[in-house]
Amino acid sequence: MEKQLDRVMDDVLSNPGVIGCVFADHQGLCLGAKGKASTDSAGIIGAITDQAAKLEPQHKSPVIVLENDTRTCIIQRSGTITGAIYKNI
Amino acid sequence: MVEEIRKVIQELLLKVSGLYCVLITDRDGVPVLKVLTDKAPELATRPAFLSTFGLAIDQGSKLGLGKAKTLICTYSQYQIVQMNKLPLVISFIASDTCNTGHILGLEKYIEPLLANLTVAVADTQ
Repeated sequence: MEKQLDRVMDDVLSNPGVIGCVFADHQGLCLGAKGKASTDSAGIIGAITDQAAKLEPQHKSPVIVLENDTRTCIIQRSGTITGAIYKNI
Repeated sequence: MVEEIRKVIQELLLKVSGLYCVLITDRDGVPVLKVLTDKAPELATRPAFLSTFGLAIDQGSKLGLGKAKTLICTYSQYQIVQMNKLPLVISFIASDTCNTGHILGLEKYIEPLLANLTVAVADTQ
């Protein structure tokens, strides 16, 4: 059932610099995680997207980038699915 | 000790939007610690409701998938997430639109607080 999502996650991970990805549904429940990404992050990722969307309600689906010295986490919602990609800088 | 735990849980309540209350009870639904907001539905905080978790996980264990860890019930206005930390049970009552994954993520913050309460409940049983 989740073969398609598995394929998408493999595609994402094959990009240079990408070290992990995680996907959550509209309830913040984890749909899948691969690489250096935790399934526990799914809820937080959904919550961050909800809060960020409130900043500009007239625009939909903001892209949120969290960055530290070594890594970035890029989050975006598409429809009911929220995805987060972890990349090395 | 209880006041410290209450304070931590109160901070967690503010972090998750739509979360109305966190209840720590024993397996019979007797409250050990209640942290409520004014939006919490009173009926769902009573032992008669909370004790059904014990029955539900007993039935759930018969599915052959191992011990039940978490029970999520979604109603038209509320959702209840209950976690099996026997002899304690943690119940979260939230709005139906609340982020379920975020509630499940609170487990790792609450679990370390339970050690002392578990001893207290285990002693009385």
